[in-house]
Amino acid sequence: MPPYQAINQAAGLIIPEIILLATVCVMFLAGPFLVSETGKAPVGLRHRWGILSLLALGAAMFAWTKAPILEAGAGPFRPDEFVWFVRGVSLVGGMLLTLLLWDQIDDGHAAEAHACLLAILAGVNFVALSNDLVGIFLGLELVSIPTYILLFLARRDWMSNEATIKYFLLSIFSSAFVLYGLSWVFGIAGTTNLTAITQKISAASVTTDLGMFQLAMVLIIAGLSFRLTAVPFHFYAPDVFQGVTPSSAAMLSFVPKVVGFTALLRLLPVCFGEAGFTDWMPVGAVRVVLMVLAILTMFVGNLLALRQTSLMRLLAYSSIAHAGYMLVGLTVGNSSAGTSGVASLLFYLSMYGIMTIGLFALISAAGTFARPLRSLSDLSGLSRSQPAIALMMAVCLIGLSGLPPTGGFLAKLNLFLAAWSEGTADGRILAITLAVNAVIAATYYLRLISAMYFEQSTVVLETARQPAAWIAGCLCAVATLALFLMPQPLWNAAVHALSHQ
Amino acid sequence: MTEELQQIVLWLIPAAPLLAAIITALLGPKLLRYKSHLPCWSALAVSFVCSLILLLKILPSVEQAATPVKGEVAIAQSAAGPQVMASGFEWFSVGSLHADIELRADSITAIMLTMVTGVSLLVAVFGSGYMSHDPGYPRFFAAVSLFVFSMCMLVLSGSFILLFVFWEAVGLCSYLLIGFWFQKPSAAAAAKKAFVVNRIGDFGLIMGIFLIWTTTFQIPGSDVLFRPFQSLNFVDVLGNTELIKVVALQNPGRIPLICFCLFLGAMGKSAQFPLQVWLPDAMEGPTPVSALIHAATMVTAGVYLVARCTPLFVMAPYAQMAVSGIGAATAAIAALTALTQTDLKRVLAYSTVSQLGFMFMALGCGAAGAELVTPAVTAGMFHLFTHAFFKALLFLAAGSVMHAMGDVIDMRRFSGLKHALPITHWTFLVGAAALAGVPLLAGFWSKDDILAVLKEASHSQEHGLYFGVIRAIAIGTAFLTAFYTFRAYFMTFWGPERYPEEAGHHPHEATPIMAWPLRTLAVCAAGIGLIVGPTHLFGDYLQKTMGLTPELEHHLHWSVMFMSSVIALAGIGFAWMFYVASPAIPASIARAMRPLYLISQGKFFLDEIFTGMIVLPLRGIAILATLVDKYLIDGIVDTVGKVPKSLSIIPRQLHGGVVSSYAGVMWVGVVAAVVLVLTMF
Repeated sequence: MPPYQAINQAAGLIIPEIILLATVCVMFLAGPFLVSETGKAPVGLRHRWGILSLLALGAAMFAWTKAPILEAGAGPFRPDEFVWFVRGVSLVGGMLLTLLLWDQIDDGHAAEAHACLLAILAGVNFVALSNDLVGIFLGLELVSIPTYILLFLARRDWMSNEATIKYFLLSIFSSAFVLYGLSWVFGIAGTTNLTAITQKISAASVTTDLGMFQLAMVLIIAGLSFRLTAVPFHFYAPDVFQGVTPSSAAMLSFVPKVVGFTALLRLLPVCFGEAGFTDWMPVGAVRVVLMVLAILTMFVGNLLALRQTSLMRLLAYSSIAHAGYMLVGLTVGNSSAGTSGVASLLFYLSMYGIMTIGLFALISAAGTFARPLRSLSDLSGLSRSQPAIALMMAVCLIGLSGLPPTGGFLAKLNLFLAAWSEGTADGRILAITLAVNAVIAATYYLRLISAMYFEQSTVVLETARQPAAWIAGCLCAVATLALFLMPQPLWNAAVHALSHQ
Repeated sequence: MTEELQQIVLWLIPAAPLLAAIITALLGPKLLRYKSHLPCWSALAVSFVCSLILLLKILPSVEQAATPVKGEVAIAQSAAGPQVMASGFEWFSVGSLHADIELRADSITAIMLTMVTGVSLLVAVFGSGYMSHDPGYPRFFAAVSLFVFSMCMLVLSGSFILLFVFWEAVGLCSYLLIGFWFQKPSAAAAAKKAFVVNRIGDFGLIMGIFLIWTTTFQIPGSDVLFRPFQSLNFVDVLGNTELIKVVALQNPGRIPLICFCLFLGAMGKSAQFPLQVWLPDAMEGPTPVSALIHAATMVTAGVYLVARCTPLFVMAPYAQMAVSGIGAATAAIAALTALTQTDLKRVLAYSTVSQLGFMFMALGCGAAGAELVTPAVTAGMFHLFTHAFFKALLFLAAGSVMHAMGDVIDMRRFSGLKHALPITHWTFLVGAAALAGVPLLAGFWSKDDILAVLKEASHSQEHGLYFGVIRAIAIGTAFLTAFYTFRAYFMTFWGPERYPEEAGHHPHEATPIMAWPLRTLAVCAAGIGLIVGPTHLFGDYLQKTMGLTPELEHHLHWSVMFMSSVIALAGIGFAWMFYVASPAIPASIARAMRPLYLISQGKFFLDEIFTGMIVLPLRGIAILATLVDKYLIDGIVDTVGKVPKSLSIIPRQLHGGVVSSYAGVMWVGVVAAVVLVLTMF
């Protein structure tokens, strides 16, 4: 095959990402010309960029429905069922995040902010798509670097600056671990192509090599744990969430988790010599590390959330705790007996994205850009001043706490069933820890609801009309309820994502 | 009718009221206000029409399709009888866990549905007149729609699981409606009482369902245990009579235990002794609610459950005898209590309890012989059917009286209303006559069926004496029923004209919107028994239900009919003598038998007995538990609660906001993980 044909063929596999990145280029190039040198922009410019961003996502989504699903070869990309799922999650989540970003950015910087968001989504897809260690790392950085800019652009006061810098430094630090781990894998296998690595491992299967793989995997897990906000790599989260806008916080609570779990689900089975997910489950030290991470993350996140008075810090800890629940699914793995832990993880991840983006959208819709809701006392009496927002927020909070009638309940139930039906003592411990933590978490979520419904408001907050955020919140609240009534399509999608052999 | 159309009709029956409930709840307070009855009316009308289609068109056509053509080898008709299933959707299916939602309709369902939606429609029409000035107007219609939805789903459920869900939902709606005027402490207390007492019954029901699920069966001669009931669907549990027989043989205690548990559930919902205490208190709700829930529909759920589970009860004669016995005790106690009540609605409430007792008396008669099972269930269900009409009529008429008297319902404070309220008067008279069992009216035919079944049961070999006693109680109670019903009638409508001052100068007759439902129900109460009773339309239709065997011969029980006519007329005559001819007699009797009078007026002091035996000890335990909780548990919890607080000191130090310390902890984490890997290899 001539080289240009190979390039053509490879490009045909990544049309959704090409659409996104082309839009990014347009935005970065055209954006500055519409803004004066002092940074003044015509009023309402942000709406145009928002619409362009939504159009690009719509086009990418259309391309996604048409994208082929192929076997992994030696090429740079492997567009299998798992990629199909990750693309869907990132594009749908990206639409919601675009709506959320809409009014949370000033007209002068809207082009760059929306471009950064699209670049991040393309990065997420590339991590899933790559059939190469280098590709995966590039994808991870395509998520990280625009994130730094996005955090900085949205608000430029000292708190935001400090938060961005903290995130920047620690993110680089964590990337170093990932890269170190990847270099170990390359060192053992002698190649960066995932298919080739899998073949070598399954052919040789030497225990000493596996031991080194375990070390490599632990390093990768540690590095990616930063993105998952797993304890003890979570420290940045509360500080950063507090400093940035609700739209950035929503992005940070969801997208890094998607990309982190995507990378782990791509790399870990490969390091165990598995081509697909069939009957894959982590063993040995990796399993111990994942289990410890899961338990620590659940407990630390929930216990520290109990004590918070700042709304954003509380949600940061809640985001940490949810990472812990999802790690339970990863620890259990994808055994064919009983409920699949990985499918439960994917189900939970999607459900969590809907609920958390919805919550942040409603928080931003309830306040103004200059004065968002900050502390728990800002919530009190919201049911009287903003009944619709309070109701939808309550739906999202009930979903996050894992109570019926929301999809959050089924998501937790699946994880619990997966851990319990695994049958080992570890599985039982994880299941019980999850149940205990769901109870602890319910206290602080329900405290938020009770503040909205049973307390008198102390401060009168201004509200600016933010229809985009309102719509995003409304969609999420409805989806939270709808996925309780009709969870089967999402569950089938999660199972389908793992069907690749 | 195509299968798809059938499914749509079936789904519409519960869906229309649900939609109405949602619309009214969302738009009612702001937009619809005093037009909130419109969604409810139209939804109930749709449900009623669909139920009629189900009753008259779909089920007969299904049955026809199932009947083997003449000349071919007769295929045994499926044990489940004619039925329509409407598959809903698979709610959730993960691993081995499956949860489906689907509807199932057979003969008994169709009859219940027609009755529930028809009576509800009339009650909703009446309610829009009765509640016309209430600020909670939209809430009322939202709750009524929700109630009808729950009740329709309860009878349409194809499995015990779904039945339980809507069993609870019906209880919830009843809680909402009894406590409709929640500002009144008595209404709030009554709602709570109803809910708590119902929960006791629900406990029995859920235990029964668990027992069905955990029943195992061992193939003789091998160690293999398997579950005889594949699922909790009615078809799987009740459809195969042979299977139940085999299970009952191998495991003699299991089926009776299941039946007792299920019956406990029925006792709670259908207000049977000793769980009947909630029903009279439930009269705190608006009167249309009393008519709808506490007379015509919800309380019949227990009877429906027992009738539905006939295939199980057949295998447990002692459970059936308990059903009859409890029914008889309830009927007698409630009738005796009703004799001395002065609150018109309470008299009707006790009569409801008493009539439900009659239904259970009949349902239990199968114990006297297998051939009696089908007539027994038919008699009980027939009484349920006729009772719904005349009791709803009586309650609505009582509501009309209450409306005219300015919410006064104490019969000592008014009398002689027959001139002021002519429509209310004659409709109440029809209802009372039907309840008393005056010949040719609805109650006559159904009560007659019950007495006939009891008579045959009392002639049986095995438990003849037992059923003889129950039959005697039934006859006595029938007499009392006629007496107290007409006591209430004479006290309210005859005698000198007196009005309480709350009624204003001149009491006003029911408005047309209230009068037409009364007239319609009066016609039904008068004629429906004659139309479907002696012609056996009802019996033949019902007996196609799964678990019943169609009767081939029909006979009218002339002797029983004659006796019950005499009893009814005697009761009415005594009431006339006591309360019209010589009003001094009741007072002198009350003086002569003061203790008995007090017992009856005090409702057998059941509330007080329960308070002394159950509530007070529980309250003592509660106080003890509070003390333990406050000082012991709280102390431990507070100490435990301080642990995370003190534990979090170290992380909080680390959370100081210093990047280098964050990076340091991350590094420590990585090193710890690496060390772990190295030590494991």
